Amino acid sequence: MALEQTFTLVNDLSEIPRLAEKVEALGEQGHLTARQVYQINLVLDELLTNVMSYGYTDGQRHTIDIHLNLEPAARLTAVLSDDGRPFNPLEQAPHAVLEGELDERPIGGLGIHFVRTLMDEVHYQRRDGRNILTLAKNLDPE
Amino acid sequence: MEVTETQVDGTLVIAPRGRLDSNTAPEFEQRLLQSLTGKPRLVLDLAGLDYISSAGLRVLLMAAKKVKQGQGRLALCELQAPIREIFEISGFLSILDVRATRAEALAELAA
Repeated sequence: MALEQTFTLVNDLSEIPRLAEKVEALGEQGHLTARQVYQINLVLDELLTNVMSYGYTDGQRHTIDIHLNLEPAARLTAVLSDDGRPFNPLEQAPHAVLEGELDERPIGGLGIHFVRTLMDEVHYQRRDGRNILTLAKNLDPE
Repeated sequence: MEVTETQVDGTLVIAPRGRLDSNTAPEFEQRLLQSLTGKPRLVLDLAGLDYISSAGLRVLLMAAKKVKQGQGRLALCELQAPIREIFEISGFLSILDVRATRAEALAELAA
């Protein structure tokens, strides 16, 4: 049987620890390793931090819906849905610079690099005024 | 997040505990900036750090740049395994001085 977590966060960075609690709870139920829990948490944190920080310009309270699904076939899928301004992190986020001297490294761009590196699939669509990101990670036994 | 500071033979050891994420990074940045004046000699002991995101890495990068500008020294140590892996993915291991233990980091800076 698949394990699921569905929850809603408001657009405030103080919600990020709640995200961690949800991912940790799912990880415990699904016997994920600490490394897997960390990586899933990191990817979702980066995407949600982005939405909370830059997605809204009206100063109003908004809600972001999150659905996590852990399949018995060792695969995690996550769907994030927000009503912020249209933003496709795959195309619009800055690219990280991973080489060169300290002075040449820009401060930023690492978040989406983690998403690309740590997830096996990322899909974006804009539907009914919402950004919908679908992510998947294969959880190979460690 | 909790932060402890210890002076060891002229080197300041700063040890953050808990989570360094978008929620806690601004506070840690302010704390760190206070210690980066003059010609700082600083060890960041990350033994108690359970989690870091790009917001936290951004603060570490900022600190490293400031230390370099001030011709100071900075070493990091005691990284937990998942955090070390994130440093690796970020390309941080080639620009930051990362040591296994606090003793090694202190010895490096005293040299």
